[in-house]
Amino acid sequence: MVNLTDDEKRILQGEEGHVKQACMEYLVEYCQVAGAERLVDLDGTGDMHTPTTSSSSFFPIEMAELEQLANDGVQFKIPTYANKAPFGELTPVHGWEHCNMCCGRGPERHDDPDFHVKASHEDFYKIFRKMGLMTTFSCANYLTMTYWPSVGQHCSWFESSQIPYCNATLGARTNIDGGLATCLLGKAPYYDMHITENRYGTVLVETDRLIKSDVEWDVYGFAIGEACNVDVPVVTGTSRPTTTQYEKFNSAVSTGGAVRMYHLPGITPEAPTIEFATGGKKFARQVMLDNSVLKATYETLNFHTSDDVDLVYLGCPHLNMVDLLLLSRKLEGKKCKVPLWIMTTPWIYNAAKEHGYVDIYEKAGAHLMSGTCLAAMGTVPEGVRNVAVDTSKQAFYVTGCYPDDDNRLQVCYGSSDDCVDAALTGKWHGEWR
Amino acid sequence: MKKIRINGRTEYPGCVEAEALVSPKPLQGFTNCSPMNGYTVERRHPLFKVKYTGKVLVYPSPRGSGGFVAYGFGQTPAAFVHTKACPLTVSCALLSHIPSMTDFETDPMEVIETGDMVLVNADEGYIEITKREAGD
Repeated sequence: MVNLTDDEKRILQGEEGHVKQACMEYLVEYCQVAGAERLVDLDGTGDMHTPTTSSSSFFPIEMAELEQLANDGVQFKIPTYANKAPFGELTPVHGWEHCNMCCGRGPERHDDPDFHVKASHEDFYKIFRKMGLMTTFSCANYLTMTYWPSVGQHCSWFESSQIPYCNATLGARTNIDGGLATCLLGKAPYYDMHITENRYGTVLVETDRLIKSDVEWDVYGFAIGEACNVDVPVVTGTSRPTTTQYEKFNSAVSTGGAVRMYHLPGITPEAPTIEFATGGKKFARQVMLDNSVLKATYETLNFHTSDDVDLVYLGCPHLNMVDLLLLSRKLEGKKCKVPLWIMTTPWIYNAAKEHGYVDIYEKAGAHLMSGTCLAAMGTVPEGVRNVAVDTSKQAFYVTGCYPDDDNRLQVCYGSSDDCVDAALTGKWHGEWR
Repeated sequence: MKKIRINGRTEYPGCVEAEALVSPKPLQGFTNCSPMNGYTVERRHPLFKVKYTGKVLVYPSPRGSGGFVAYGFGQTPAAFVHTKACPLTVSCALLSHIPSMTDFETDPMEVIETGDMVLVNADEGYIEITKREAGD
């Protein structure tokens, strides 16, 4: 039974037009599936994958209806940002001309200028920008939101790596439901991470080494995901994470598992102490992820028989400005032996260009790109059979694009420095240290 | 024939009976699910390339990307049965309209084996398992 307010009932009856009615019908069905008894008014931000005209194919909305809505001045109810580049082509915003590869498994190519125009779906974005969508085109659009939700604010985000960023890092509240319906109406089913009780930690995670480097945060995150699954861990044994480490950790816990929320006692906003993190309750279980577990996890993330690397890919999730600065220092005056692709958000790309990083990369034989993701593009450049990456998320998903025995893709996984070394030497020297 | 009935919570309604395919590990979507072929392509997964199409897909929980919904498209299972729910199972049921159940009084992972027949009565909130005969 879903309890709607009088205003929500009026929308459901179609008094504010068909688009909002279809969105409300979808939200009511969503409540039923989720077991939510009501909707919550959103006061945070939205993150949605685009271009999608409907939240569900069972409640279709036509493009013409949306155009009319935009012309009528209707706006997204909350500040809403576009996730990575348009589905399903997922062509880069910047750097597409370097992509000597097909789009998905079809014949169209990312380096074809005509295809790039088509795959950019400008018609769609013209309408959605009019409604207030900010086209950040990033899986880490929190890097360039410039307007973040505060502790306790209710949001509707979608990208898996952004969910714990919102819930745990920022202390705002979201489920995995950013889309037209939630962002347009400013409402979402009140369940899971919107409810205080569900956010308390139930699993104590410990380790026997101090987690301090980027790769340690990433491996620890993946191992925590595997150990905790859908539960809320209280994570100990770490240093204070940098923004880069938060990016990696949040993407790792939601690849190894489906961790939407965690606590770092003394660090994350809802965990000044372990007692706060658990709501004063006892842990349901404790997990020790010692060095042997982390080493085994590191080895699981590697999937290669050859040390000859064909492509190095950095930027999962999209790199922040400091990552780009550090990379420019490491690559200045050097020459890559194999292609190095560096992925960031389109807005940061422009800043990096102004700072001269793009020139430095290009002189070194590397390319800065923006807005998309190698695994999401679904293919690798022609001739590439072994990719080096520095995040568990990319390491784990990119092989799914090539599952057949005669066409397997190999992955070398390690630190960013191991990846830069592979780009400069063409060889993989990474190991768990 | 031994039948075991377990009550649970319905995510998406419907009533269907089919053979079970049990995944001992969590399932992951996005690039690691091939909806066109109806199987997981997660490397080293026990169900790597094992077809789930038309089966009752039984698994402990989902993990990973919002692209978990891939299991609800293309060559889909007949029904979803999982021990633990989260927004990934919710969106999969919601966007596919395939019967889906969770939160059982007994963990179905401890009862159901691949090849058992499972009636998923999500309209009335239970599953009924007919154990495969020895030697089948």
